[in-house]
Amino acid sequence: MKHTSAAIVTVVLFMCGCAEVETKMQAYPKMYSETEKPISILVVPVINKTTAADAGDLINSTLTVPFADNGYYVLPISIVSDIFKREGVIEGSQISGLPSSVFKANFGVDSVLYITINKWDTNYVVLAANVTVGMSYVLVSTSDNSVLWSYDQQVVVDTGGGNSGFILLDIIQTAVNTALTDYIPIARQVNATAVVTMPYGKYHPQVGQDGDMEVVLKSSREKAVEQSE
Amino acid sequence: MTKKTIVILFLSVLITACSSVSPGGYYWGKYSYTYHALIKEPSTESRANHQETLLNIIAESQEQNLRVPPGIHAELGNLLALNNQTDAAVAEFETEVKLYPESKVFLERLLSGLSKGSE
Repeated sequence: MKHTSAAIVTVVLFMCGCAEVETKMQAYPKMYSETEKPISILVVPVINKTTAADAGDLINSTLTVPFADNGYYVLPISIVSDIFKREGVIEGSQISGLPSSVFKANFGVDSVLYITINKWDTNYVVLAANVTVGMSYVLVSTSDNSVLWSYDQQVVVDTGGGNSGFILLDIIQTAVNTALTDYIPIARQVNATAVVTMPYGKYHPQVGQDGDMEVVLKSSREKAVEQSE
Repeated sequence: MTKKTIVILFLSVLITACSSVSPGGYYWGKYSYTYHALIKEPSTESRANHQETLLNIIAESQEQNLRVPPGIHAELGNLLALNNQTDAAVAEFETEVKLYPESKVFLERLLSGLSKGSE
């Protein structure tokens, strides 16, 4: 593998030691309701607020896996984004005013996932390199527009640097890594970190059994909704 | 072969076998990579590469007795349709609906678009 940093270090930035943590059930009760829990998800084009033009495509191509793995039916993103493109929608902000019921009628889905990339900063500091990614995810019901799941997070992913014991070699190694970084595992990692807080869906073997997991930072749940408004 | 090498071989086979199945119990192959290449640079080649990934996912899932992940048959159907292989495309869409009934409304709309296009 050309991606040398086998040990990708993720640091989830907690707001402070006293941050309030909720269980999945407390945070997202609708995801456990027989009548309201979604099965299918439509991922609409990402809103990219950063200057990293590639970030949208990277996130787009790594979304299906974590959400499907979490037990949901994700409408094939490749087909969906082609449909949006044909309608002239390339960026998520173009449809942010639409009521989500539109998507129920046209795609037959019971939820829509809105994603905003708030931050994508690459840092290169001689002997180390990392990328800081800030994202918010809001899953909305297509039957009543209510928020089913939301999460905002900032993740710092180490993108390499060397550790050979020879400083010059390490500097070269870091520079090379920064230029050739394979961003797909990074995008994957960012998505996976958020999805940890999402209740399991129909196709997950433990669906309905994860309500007690204390993994949701209340402030992160609320922040995602605020940012989408 | 010494006993030690056999044990190491066995363990490495075990690790590779496990690592190719995702936490959700699916086999995804090179999905994100070939899809990303396809959206970065849409071409006959990148489309063919992604199609190969999809076929590999279906074959490998069957081999390992896993459910084919959501959307894979539909995506394959879509690529076949773009290639004017309408009958094969329809068959893939139907397999997707059978596997994931939630996709019915969406795929029926795609199907009606297909039949309109071929008229």
